[in-house]
Amino acid sequence: MTIHYHPSIEMLTDYAAGSLSLTHSMSIATHIEQCQECQQQIRKLTTLGGQLFTQTTTEDANIVDLKASFFDKLREQDRSESMSSTVKEQGRRDQSTDHMTSEETLLSWEQDYQVPKSLRQFVPFGYDKLKWMPLSPSVKIATLCQEEGGAQVALTRIKAGASIPTHTHTGDEITLVLEGAFSDKSGIYRQGDFITRDASHKHKPMVTKDAECICLTVLDAPIEFTGWLTRLFNPIMRRYHPHSNH
Amino acid sequence: MDTVKQIDSDDHMVQDMLAISQNRDQEALNRLFDHYVPKIRAFCLAAQPGANLMADDIAQEVMIRVWRKAHTYKPETASLNTWIFTLARNARIDYLRKNSRHQSNIDPEYLWRDVIDENADPFKDAQQKRDQERIQIGLAKLPQDQQQVLAKVYLEGKTHKEAAEELSLPLGTIKSRVRLALHKLTIYIKR
Ligand SMILES: [Zn+2]
Repeated sequence: MTIHYHPSIEMLTDYAAGSLSLTHSMSIATHIEQCQECQQQIRKLTTLGGQLFTQTTTEDANIVDLKASFFDKLREQDRSESMSSTVKEQGRRDQSTDHMTSEETLLSWEQDYQVPKSLRQFVPFGYDKLKWMPLSPSVKIATLCQEEGGAQVALTRIKAGASIPTHTHTGDEITLVLEGAFSDKSGIYRQGDFITRDASHKHKPMVTKDAECICLTVLDAPIEFTGWLTRLFNPIMRRYHPHSNH
Repeated sequence: MDTVKQIDSDDHMVQDMLAISQNRDQEALNRLFDHYVPKIRAFCLAAQPGANLMADDIAQEVMIRVWRKAHTYKPETASLNTWIFTLARNARIDYLRKNSRHQSNIDPEYLWRDVIDENADPFKDAQQKRDQERIQIGLAKLPQDQQQVLAKVYLEGKTHKEAAEELSLPLGTIKSRVRLALHKLTIYIKR
């Protein structure tokens, strides 16, 4: 698999440093699961973080009290752990069988799709089990999470050969292809490709004819459709964005 | 000379990690506590000046993870400093998401995988060692303005955009300083 579109080095750096927003970090984490090249980059950027971290000038705060309370806490935890260890052991066994079954069912439900690990928190049982909201006969959206600041992470599922209406957005939009492929006037995007568009960008993506397309989208601010469907779609989108003023 | 000394003291700490995972050696944990807790606190205070309680909480949290997860640490895949940095970074993200005004449902555990790979690869490990040395040596030689921006992003937890605002510099300047620095450290090679 060759990936042609990657996150910018700035985004990768902010991600490795831990300063990138969680919604954006989700898109990076999902991309690097599939992209060896960026994985390598993140490795090095994290090593740099480790170096900078060791150089932090250490203030001479008194850590004696902190240490005492730390070791108290540790002993406390270890004690309660050894007391309940038999119960815990049992629990762990149960959990692991649960895990197995959910993994197995996941496979039987969806032979073809593997949900990236980074998305499993929100897609524990496969794409089909999500609550999909139809936007048109060929386009469906499932919101994964909605942050207080207005940022939104969603999945878009588009039928083979279909297009989604022309739209602009009020903030940056990240699109990551999870399954299938689509194209717009700037190029063709396949599995793993990571595309950033800013608010000025008007585009009309079209899915390739061979297969449906599932994309992860991260929006800083709500999307706005500008085509003739505007009146139809915007009320729906507004419902997706309870914090939006649009 | 300095580098040699640092690697030497790192070895002692790697020994301490081993003593923790194999013998549950609290003395070893005690030594690691002395070495790393001031750094973890400084790392937290860089992002939230004056937040001493937060710094204490996170430092304790990280040291508990060191105690619990010592057996998962593999010295050949990452330096101990890098490993502890990732623990501190993740704990800081988690703390902020739970305690800030804008709480988030996104669990960072899913987004930052362990630097320690499950499948060992001797080739990768050798590469990792070389990168490590190159970065360590290169960092000291960077011009002040580049070091400053890296510190903002990594230690203060600022995005490029926030760093630009704070230093009253155009975003483009910040970006090019970071790129230059990463280029010199051979982290970033233009595609
Ligand atoms: Zn990539």
